[in-house]
Amino acid sequence: METTTSTSSSKRLISALVFVVLGVAVVGTVGFTLHTLSADPQKPLYATKSSETIVIDGKSYPKASAVLGVYPDKETAAKHGYTANKHDYVQYGPSSHLVLPAHTYVTMTIHAYDGGEELNNPYFGKVVGTIGGTMNVDGVDVNSLPSTGVQHTWTLHGIPSSSQDPLFVNVPLPIVEEGDKGFLPTQDPGTNFEGHTVTFSFITGGAGDYVWNCEYPCGDGSYAKFGAAMSAYGYMSGKVTVA
Amino acid sequence: MSDNTQHEEELSPTPGQRVSNLFKRNDVRRTTVFTFLWTALFVILGLYIYPKFMPEVMSVDMKAMERIMVAFTVISAPIAGLVLGITTQALTNRHTGNTPPPDGPAVRTNGPVVVVWSVVSGLFCLIAVVWGLVELNTFANAATVDERTALHVEVVGSQWVWSFKYPELGVESDKLMLPVDRPVTFDITSADVNHSFWPLQLGIKIDANRLQTTHINTTPTKLGRLDVKCAELCGLYHAYMETSGEVMTSDDFNNWVTSNGGHVA
Amino acid sequence: MTTLHSTSTHSRPIPNPAKSLITKLNMGTGVVVGVIFAFATYFAFRPAADASGFYNQQNKALLGAMLMWSVGFLIGIGAFIGPFRWLIGKDLTAEEQLYLAGDGQGIKRYFKYCTDHKVVGIQYLVGVTTMLAVGGGMAMMIRTSLAVPGGHFIGATIYNSLVGLHGITMIVAMIIVATGPFGNYIMPIMIGARDMAFPRLNALSWWVLFTAIPVLCSAWFLGGIPTGWTAYAPLSIQAGPGMNSFIGTILIFAVSTAVAGMNITATVIAMRAKGMKWNRVPIFVIGATMSVALAIPAFPTFMLAMVQTATDRVFNTGFYDANVGGSGWLYAHLFWIMGHPEVYVILLPGIAILMEIAPVFVRKPLFSYNAAIMGFAGIAGLSVLVWAHHMYISGWTPTLNGPFMVTTEMISVPTGLLFLVMLGTIWRGKPWMKLPMLGLFAVMWNLLIGGITGIYLSDVPADNYLHGSMFVTAHFHYTLMGAALTGAVAGLAYWFPKMTGRMLNEPAGYISFWFTQIGFQVLFLGMFIAGAEGQPRRVVSFAAMYKYTNMISTAGAYLVGTGFIVLLWAVIHSWRKGVIAPQNPWGAKTLEWTVPYPVPLENFDEAPIITSDPYGYGKGN
Repeated sequence: METTTSTSSSKRLISALVFVVLGVAVVGTVGFTLHTLSADPQKPLYATKSSETIVIDGKSYPKASAVLGVYPDKETAAKHGYTANKHDYVQYGPSSHLVLPAHTYVTMTIHAYDGGEELNNPYFGKVVGTIGGTMNVDGVDVNSLPSTGVQHTWTLHGIPSSSQDPLFVNVPLPIVEEGDKGFLPTQDPGTNFEGHTVTFSFITGGAGDYVWNCEYPCGDGSYAKFGAAMSAYGYMSGKVTVA
Repeated sequence: MSDNTQHEEELSPTPGQRVSNLFKRNDVRRTTVFTFLWTALFVILGLYIYPKFMPEVMSVDMKAMERIMVAFTVISAPIAGLVLGITTQALTNRHTGNTPPPDGPAVRTNGPVVVVWSVVSGLFCLIAVVWGLVELNTFANAATVDERTALHVEVVGSQWVWSFKYPELGVESDKLMLPVDRPVTFDITSADVNHSFWPLQLGIKIDANRLQTTHINTTPTKLGRLDVKCAELCGLYHAYMETSGEVMTSDDFNNWVTSNGGHVA
Repeated sequence: MTTLHSTSTHSRPIPNPAKSLITKLNMGTGVVVGVIFAFATYFAFRPAADASGFYNQQNKALLGAMLMWSVGFLIGIGAFIGPFRWLIGKDLTAEEQLYLAGDGQGIKRYFKYCTDHKVVGIQYLVGVTTMLAVGGGMAMMIRTSLAVPGGHFIGATIYNSLVGLHGITMIVAMIIVATGPFGNYIMPIMIGARDMAFPRLNALSWWVLFTAIPVLCSAWFLGGIPTGWTAYAPLSIQAGPGMNSFIGTILIFAVSTAVAGMNITATVIAMRAKGMKWNRVPIFVIGATMSVALAIPAFPTFMLAMVQTATDRVFNTGFYDANVGGSGWLYAHLFWIMGHPEVYVILLPGIAILMEIAPVFVRKPLFSYNAAIMGFAGIAGLSVLVWAHHMYISGWTPTLNGPFMVTTEMISVPTGLLFLVMLGTIWRGKPWMKLPMLGLFAVMWNLLIGGITGIYLSDVPADNYLHGSMFVTAHFHYTLMGAALTGAVAGLAYWFPKMTGRMLNEPAGYISFWFTQIGFQVLFLGMFIAGAEGQPRRVVSFAAMYKYTNMISTAGAYLVGTGFIVLLWAVIHSWRKGVIAPQNPWGAKTLEWTVPYPVPLENFDEAPIITSDPYGYGKGN
C-alpha cells in the first residue's frame, strides 16, 4: 500500500487534536446549556433561621421557618408576587427549591387557595412525618383529611441511603370552598384572602438531597391527572436541600 | 478434516492416538493453557463478584437468585474459557504489515466439531433451562404461602411515592416494616401509571398496574434494613420513588403496629 | 428500468431533461413544501388556550403537523411524480429516469431524490453517523449527570428526556447502521446487481427516514419525553406534547424500514448475478437480508402500538387506559413483539460483517458456511417467540414465564454456532491485524459477556432481581454497542476504500479502537456492578452507595466519547485527504472489489458470472 499522503503527519496530528478539542467543546457546551436550562427559574428559598431552640425527646434543636403558597393559576401567583413560571398551571411559590438547615426544627407555613376533587391514593390524606403527626389548619390541629377534602399535598421524600437520613413528610391541604374565609395571621400581608393557612413542623436530619411534589392529581385533562402541572418540574414539584 | 495438511493425522489408526497427536501441536497446547486460565478467571469472578457486591440476602428468593448468578457464571466458564482461549491463541499468532498473511489451511468445515459444539452448547442450554425451571418451581411453591399465617401487605405505587397498608392490622405507612420468618403476601397496585415494586434485599419484584392487583410472596429470613425502589420508569421523579423499611423481630413489629395506631391480631 | 440497462455506461451523455419538473426539485424544495404543510396543518387544528380537551387537540395539531411535514417534504422533493404519472397512465421518460440516477451531477445528487444505490448508501452513512454522534453526545450528558449522586448537573425533566431520546436515536441508528450504508452501497455490488430491485423505493426509504430526523429533534422543543425509548403506556398517554415527536418518528421510521426491508429482500432474491446460487451468496448478504426480513413482520406491531398511543392521546380511545377497560399490557406485548426481534435486526448484520471480514484477514475459507446460516436462521426464528421475557415481572400470566424462559435460553444454541463460525475461521490462521480485523477480537469478548449476562436475565428468579436495573442497561449495551456497533465500525474500516476511494487513517483508527474498547469495558463493567448492587435504570439520582461504580462508568464513558470523536475525525479527514486506495486493498474475493472507484453507474460493464463462493482462500483451494 502507498505510504505517501497528501498531508504531513504533524499537520494531521494537529488537525486531529483540534477536532477532538472542538468535539469535546461542542458536547460540553450543549451539556452546559442543558445544565443552565434545568436550573430553577427563581432563586432558592432559604428557611429563616431563628435564635430560639426547642427541646424534643430530650434533644435540643435550633428553629427555622419557611412560608410557601400554592396558587391555582398564574394570575393568583402573580398577585402574590410570584411570576417565574411560564405556563398557566397551578403552582407552588415563591420558589420550587427550598434550602433547610440540617438537624433543625423547621416550621413551614403554606397558604393554600385552591379547590379540589379526589386523591388518587387516599394515603396522602394523612399527615405524616410532622411533629405530633398533626398539622395546624387555620388554628386547629388536624391529623388527616378525607380523600375528597384535599386541594394539594406537600410531600417531601428522597432516596434513603446510608449517607443521607430518611426524611418523609406528607401534609394535605384542605379544599377551599366557595366563600371560605381563611385564617388571617397577623404577619400575613394579604388582607382579604380566601383560603387556608396550614402550619406544621418537622425535624431535618443530616445534609442531603430530597424532592417534594404534590400527590393531589391536579394536571387536569391528562392521564390520572398527573401530567401537565404535575409532571413539569417547578410547578407542583421541586427540590429540597438540607444543608 | 479433508485437506492435505491433515492427511497424516487422518491415517492414524486409533482415536486415542489422534487426540494425543493433536495435543502435540503447539497451537493446541497454547489454546489449552489459555482456556484453563480464562475458565479459572471466570470461575473466580463468578464465585467472588456477585456475593461481594449484591445486597444482603434476606429471603429464600434472594438466596435462589444469588445462587443462579454464581452457578451460571461457573457453568458457563468453560465455554467462555474455550472461546477466549482460541481467540487469545489467535492473537499470539498475529500478522502485521501491509501485505496479507500467507494462506492458512483451506478448512471449509469440520462435521464432528460442528456436531460436538452444537450438542455441548445444547447441553449447557439444557442445564440452564432445567435449573431455571426447578428454581422457578421452588419460587412458585414458596409463593403458595399459608393463607392463615401470611401477613398481607397492600402496596400502592403512586407517582412517585410508595405506600403500604396492612389491612389486618389497621396500619398504613410510607415505610415497609416486616416481621422476620413470617410469610408475607404483597398485593400490589398502582394509582396511576406503571411502577415496579422492588424490595431489594428480598430478591422479588413485580409491576404495579392501574386497576390490576398483582401478587408476590416471600418470607423474610433475616433482620435488617430494607430498600424499596421503583424499577419501572414512571415519570418525573421516578428516581426518587424509593423508601426504606426494616425486617424486625415479631415483638418489635407488634410494637411498631400498636404505636402507629394499629391493633395486633 | 429495462431501457436503462440497455445503454452502455461509458458513452452515455449526461441526461438533461430540462423541461421536466424533476430537475427543479431537491431537498430545499422538499423542506419548503414540508414546512408549509406542517404549519398549515398545525394552524388548522390548533386549539384555543381555554378549549375543553385542550391536550387532545394540541396532540392532534402537533402530530398532524409532523406527519404532514413528512408528506409535504416527499411531495416537494418529487417522490410522488412517478406514481402520479402512473395514475394518469404514463411513467417517467427514460431520460428522466437516467436523470434521477444522478449520473454526472456531482455532489448535487446527494441532495436529490436520487435512485442510485451508491448515492443512497452514502446518504445513509452520513445520516447514521450524524445520529450516532447526536445519540453519543446525549450519552455523555447522561453519564456526566450520573458522575456524582444527587442529580445536580441536569434536572429530572431534561434527564428523563435525554434517556429516552438517547435510546430511540441510538436504536433507530443501530437498526440502519449496517443495512443502510453497506446494505445499499456494497450489497448490490456484492451480488453482482446493477442496482436495487426498486431504485425509486430505495430513494424513498432514505428520504422518508430523513423526514423523521427533524420530527425526533422537535421533541426537545416540545418539553421532551418522560417515558424512555420503550414509551410504556399509560405513562406515554400522560406525557406532554413532546411525546408526539416520538410517535411521529416511529410512524415515519416504520414506513422507511418496511420499504427498505422489502427492497433489500427483493434485490437479494431476484437480482443476484448469474451463477450465484444460495450457497454462493456472501455471508454478509445473508445476514443483512435476514435482518431486514425479520424487521418486515416486527415493525408493523410497533407502528400499531404507536397508532394506538396516538389515538389514546388524541381521541381518548383508551386502548391502554385501564380506567376505561384498556391495558398497559397490550402495549407491552405489541412493543416487545417488535422489540425483541429488533435486537437481532441490529445484531445480525454486525456479526455478518465480521464473518465477511474474517476469511479475508486470516486467508482461510469461512468455517462452516452452513453453521453460519443455521445460526442466523435459528436466531431469527426464535427471536419472534421470546418477547414476553421482557414482561416476566409485569404480573401478566406468571404461568407463561416458564415457556418464555425456555425459548429465550434456546437462543444460546444458534448464538453458539455464530461463535463457532468465527472461531473456526480464525483457528490455525494468522490474523492480519488491520483495523477491520481488530473488531472481530473485540466482539468475541463483548458478545460473550453480553451473552452470559443474557443467560442470567433470561432466568426468571434472577430477572426478578435484575429486571429494570442498571445490569440490564449494561447487558444490552454489550450486545448492541459492544457487538453490533463494533461490527459496523469494522465494516466501515473494511469498505471505506470502496465507498470513498481512500483508506481510513490507520493510526487514528487504532487510537479510536483502543479508546472506545477499553473505555467501553470500564463503562459497562462498572455498570454491571451498580446493577448487581441494585441501582435502577433511568434514574436521575441515586443513593450514595453507588457512588464509585457510577464514577468509574462515567470515566469509561469519556474514554469512549473521545475514541468516537477520533474516529469521526479519521472518517472526515480520510474521506477528504486520505491515501488513495487500490481497487482491492485487502485482497478479498467478493465482487465489490472487482469494480473500480468511483463505481460506475451500473456497477459492472459486463454482468459477472459466479462459479464458486467468495471464500476460496487457503492452501489447496
